[in-house]
Amino acid sequence: MIPLLAALPLLFAFATALLIPLHRNNLTKYLFLTGAFAPWVVFLFGGEGSEVVGGWTRTGGIEVAVGPYSRWFILAELLLFSIAALYSVVYFRGKVKPFVLLLLIHTGLLGAFISRDLFNYYIYMEVVSVSTFSLVAFPRDSEAKRAAYKYLMLSMISSYFFVFAVGLLYLKTGYLNLYLMSRAVTQSKEVVAAIAIAFTSLLLKAGVFPLHSWLPDANSVAPTPVVILSGITVNVPLYGMLLLSKYLPLSIHFKTALTSIAFVSMFVGAGMALLQRDAKRLLAYSTVSQMGYALIGLGTGNLLGAVYYSFAHAIIKGGLFLSVGSLSDARGSRRLDALSYRGDTLIAVSVIALSLAIGGVSPFVSALGKAELLRGLTWGRWLFYLAGVGTLAAFAKLNYWLSRGVGVGVAGVYRFLSIVPPLLVVVFGLYLYRALQPLDVVIVGAGILTFALLRLSGLTGRGIGFDLPVGRDVSINAALYALFLLFLLHVL
Amino acid sequence: MIDAETVGVLVMLIGLYGIMVNEKPIKQVLSVNVLSVGLVLFFIGTGYVPNRTFPVMPANPVDPLPATLMLTTLVVDVALTALALALITDMGVDA
Repeated sequence: MIPLLAALPLLFAFATALLIPLHRNNLTKYLFLTGAFAPWVVFLFGGEGSEVVGGWTRTGGIEVAVGPYSRWFILAELLLFSIAALYSVVYFRGKVKPFVLLLLIHTGLLGAFISRDLFNYYIYMEVVSVSTFSLVAFPRDSEAKRAAYKYLMLSMISSYFFVFAVGLLYLKTGYLNLYLMSRAVTQSKEVVAAIAIAFTSLLLKAGVFPLHSWLPDANSVAPTPVVILSGITVNVPLYGMLLLSKYLPLSIHFKTALTSIAFVSMFVGAGMALLQRDAKRLLAYSTVSQMGYALIGLGTGNLLGAVYYSFAHAIIKGGLFLSVGSLSDARGSRRLDALSYRGDTLIAVSVIALSLAIGGVSPFVSALGKAELLRGLTWGRWLFYLAGVGTLAAFAKLNYWLSRGVGVGVAGVYRFLSIVPPLLVVVFGLYLYRALQPLDVVIVGAGILTFALLRLSGLTGRGIGFDLPVGRDVSINAALYALFLLFLLHVL
Repeated sequence: MIDAETVGVLVMLIGLYGIMVNEKPIKQVLSVNVLSVGLVLFFIGTGYVPNRTFPVMPANPVDPLPATLMLTTLVVDVALTALALALITDMGVDA
């Protein structure tokens, strides 16, 4: 039953693609929505557990499972994809190809989250990446093509090195199945190197500083339904890192290094978000910062904290991209000073609620993730709070600009959908975490105060950006990848 | 004698170096292909066991799994190369 989670969207992707030669484009909507919602049935009635595809033994087959960690990722994926699916039916009206690619992303995300086998995981991650490259390049302007090219090249380099690491692990243990691998693995130089290489590759794909530079480019130009999904696509590499830390021995130095990288990413992400003048880039840099939070869970061995936090982040970031993306599509500009949610109550409520939620304020589900992460953190608690203040300052900036100016009318469907993510965040927050943190008021106040001070000093208005030719950009980032790889190999 | 795995890793590193030093997108795509060929060589090397036969009739065969995995990787490689080249033609920069 579990493999059907990935198989159903794949089947419908194929069926939708067949509509083009059959000249039945009018059926696209129905096939697409069936494919998008069919996995819900499997998820709700299939239950948990693990099975090997085709009834083989574990040594010879490919294992898939829905477990205590992966079910949260799958739930986040299904919720977010359902929203994005309804959004894209209006957004891509009259087209067929984007729907096929979206269903392939659906397949890849679900397939990766049920994987218990490293090579199988890699294949599904590639399915997600390749479909995303094509969709990022979907707008006709050359900026979109350049962003897609950069994303493709960097992602390809890290994919090949990831497979190389999988090969090293296979060479040392004789298995690709993670459970069997964990029993056969012994501490050796090759295994240590493999872990470092695999982590470097996945960190790039997750958009963690300093390997993040493809993320703001891709997220700012991609069509809105695709950026809505970016909240969950960055969780695929995170899930890979989670599997690796669960099944393979990570040294204590490595974990400390991961925690330090996480803190750096949190601060740089929040700082860069504060300096942006482009609304979508601001959100993208906030993703860089939020991936740092999730990484802290891995660094401190607190996997459940990372899972809860990424669950919350996926829905929050998806919702923010939905609201801000709708505004920017309606206005035809991404500049903060051109956008406004004035006169649009639903979108205003959505943006304000999600801005608070992303700072981990307590009635929302992200507060649970934050509390779980803090429980496992033995050092640097004040850094953790400080990064929260930075995030809230960046979102104070977003709300400051959006609450000024004159709003434009956003289509009714988009407005209705924009209120769904905040509702989900509140409902899950009340269901999972019934507690109020008085400290949150102080943090929100500090965030707003930080923004006000920076605004008065004129630091946030300046904007920051490097305008490099795309070829040189890729070269520099490949070199950064190599340096970062050497650093991790050295740390171990 | 130097074995296939080592050569594979070296070829991969040459590919990575190629991406770092070439700023023309076409050359970068070619460098990524060099990287992937190195990866394939590495995997085929891991499956090879001296004095064993091909894994069709199971009498003392080499390990067939790495070669099978590489078939999948090659397919991914071809698809991504095609996509990258298509993007380069649309990018509007000097390739």
